[in-house]
Amino acid sequence: MDVEGMNAALRRLCDKYGVAVDGRLVADAEQVAGVRLETAGSAVPLLPWRVERRFAELKKIIDSRTLEHVSTLRFAVMRSGARLEHLVYREFDLCEWMAGSPIRKTFASVAGDKVANVIVTFANGMSASVECSAALPEGAAEIDRHEIIARRGVACDRVVDTQVPQASIYAVTAEGTKTYTDTDAELFGFSDAEIWTVRAAFAVLKTPALAAEWKKAACGVKEKVAQTLACAETCVPAVFPEDIHV
Amino acid sequence: MKPVKIAMMSLTHGHTRKYYQTLLENAKLDWVASCAEDQRAKETYELYQTGVPCYLSEDEMFERHPDIEAVVLASANDKHMAQVQECARRGVHVLSMKIPSFDMAEYDAMIAAVDKAGIVCQIELEMHYNPVVHRLKKLIAEGAVGKIVSVQATNITLSPVWAFPWQGVPEASYGRRVPLKAGDARCRGGALCDHPHIFDLIRHLTGADFDFVYSSVAPNLRPELQVEDMLLVNGKLKDGTAFLFDPSWSRMEERLKVPGPGWEVFPKRMEVNVTVVGEKGTLVSDCFGPNVYHNGAPSDRYTVQYTYFDEWVGMIDEFAGCIREGKEPLINLRWHRPTIAAMNACYDSVASGGPCTVK
Repeated sequence: MDVEGMNAALRRLCDKYGVAVDGRLVADAEQVAGVRLETAGSAVPLLPWRVERRFAELKKIIDSRTLEHVSTLRFAVMRSGARLEHLVYREFDLCEWMAGSPIRKTFASVAGDKVANVIVTFANGMSASVECSAALPEGAAEIDRHEIIARRGVACDRVVDTQVPQASIYAVTAEGTKTYTDTDAELFGFSDAEIWTVRAAFAVLKTPALAAEWKKAACGVKEKVAQTLACAETCVPAVFPEDIHV
Repeated sequence: MKPVKIAMMSLTHGHTRKYYQTLLENAKLDWVASCAEDQRAKETYELYQTGVPCYLSEDEMFERHPDIEAVVLASANDKHMAQVQECARRGVHVLSMKIPSFDMAEYDAMIAAVDKAGIVCQIELEMHYNPVVHRLKKLIAEGAVGKIVSVQATNITLSPVWAFPWQGVPEASYGRRVPLKAGDARCRGGALCDHPHIFDLIRHLTGADFDFVYSSVAPNLRPELQVEDMLLVNGKLKDGTAFLFDPSWSRMEERLKVPGPGWEVFPKRMEVNVTVVGEKGTLVSDCFGPNVYHNGAPSDRYTVQYTYFDEWVGMIDEFAGCIREGKEPLINLRWHRPTIAAMNACYDSVASGGPCTVK
């Protein structure tokens, strides 16, 4: 990640939208985002997926009641060179955020340190399947899918009849096919991971109340991921008390 | 940079609502007032609760807000000439909708008025601020596919006429009533007038202007319209680039008075796909995809939920920057003139049944 460039972009956004530049990004390999936001008060864990547009739109589809009576989430992610717990962490946080309810119980079927298949039960009774794999070969593009199934309607970030993410541009030349998907004109040139991280930091600086919300969420999800993966070794479900966020 | 005091006028154009968020959020702007064409436009405007005062008289708006420096002319095509001249008289900068005028004499009068007043006049061709288009331009400039030999593009949408009736009225959309061709009851002013983007983009991508066009209209999908809704265009640019465009209203719609959820019948209500064939390769692009998808309320139809839709952000940035820095916008009246001439030539081709040279 180009942290220096990301900080410059963050300052530019703050300047443009009249937001105080009260923080900077610092590289942190322990964070799922790869960086943390250092503000005057404290360090803030970033949850970039919560500002990633496709997830924001899916959340909006739920919250606006375009879908009615959500029942089940079916989430999957496959990546190369990732830490399994980081993959599960993102999906668990997306689960709780989309469901609007904490995870109460999980049961994981794990293969080595690369793959986890988890069934999740939320406090509100909804279910989720979470498929995480860090087993893609080096250099392979990430494959993921997030489907929300409701009594009225299904929403998904992948178009029907496709199994892999589509691209905006396919460049077909004698060297093969290259794909490009650019989604943010203001941050053009950054990678997706960098874009959503800058956007997440900007969201926190613009709405400082998010810092406490994200800290609480991050703390709870981290614990749930650890317990879920640990319980898989003993083949028992992990059950979480209501106050695990505290 | 001192924020530009900006206003919106007419509020009858289909793109009107797309400005609201940008005008409110961008610190380079101070959105001080709006002026609606009529009571209906005012009532629709008020649904969005912008908090910005709305008048029914231009004069009243300018009297109450003498500090207005710039306006977005969100009006029907036949209003542009008078509004641009009035703004020029007041020294107010203009962001015009995508068709300043199809009448080339009127168009030239606008250029003269803008030049004389020394104001900025930017044309709303928002595709230039789309990140996929940005990437396309970059790849082409870097030689990814070599010299361009052909471009195929769609600019297809649903028809907005039920929400924005002027787009189905030949006098308001095209500027006057001109039959499409002998024996055809329809007039100029439909889908073609709504879709200049691909005519503009190809000039940017190739650096060449139009040589000739051939165009053919098909039977309307909406037979009650007075204007065309289905047509195809092909031809060549002066550098030899061949092209084929579809600028139709080929996606059906629910006839909503105010655009909102459930407007589309076909899942994707608006598409701009561009294929660029070069001597060394091909670029296949979808400027508004991928997205997220659902089949929920209100219609339970499979629907594209547009996910990356912020062209207006960059366009307004450029407009404000040009005003403060005294620059010429990328899409200015002079640049845009050959695009309008090419679109007029398409109508001439429909009328004649043969190819038409673009003058």
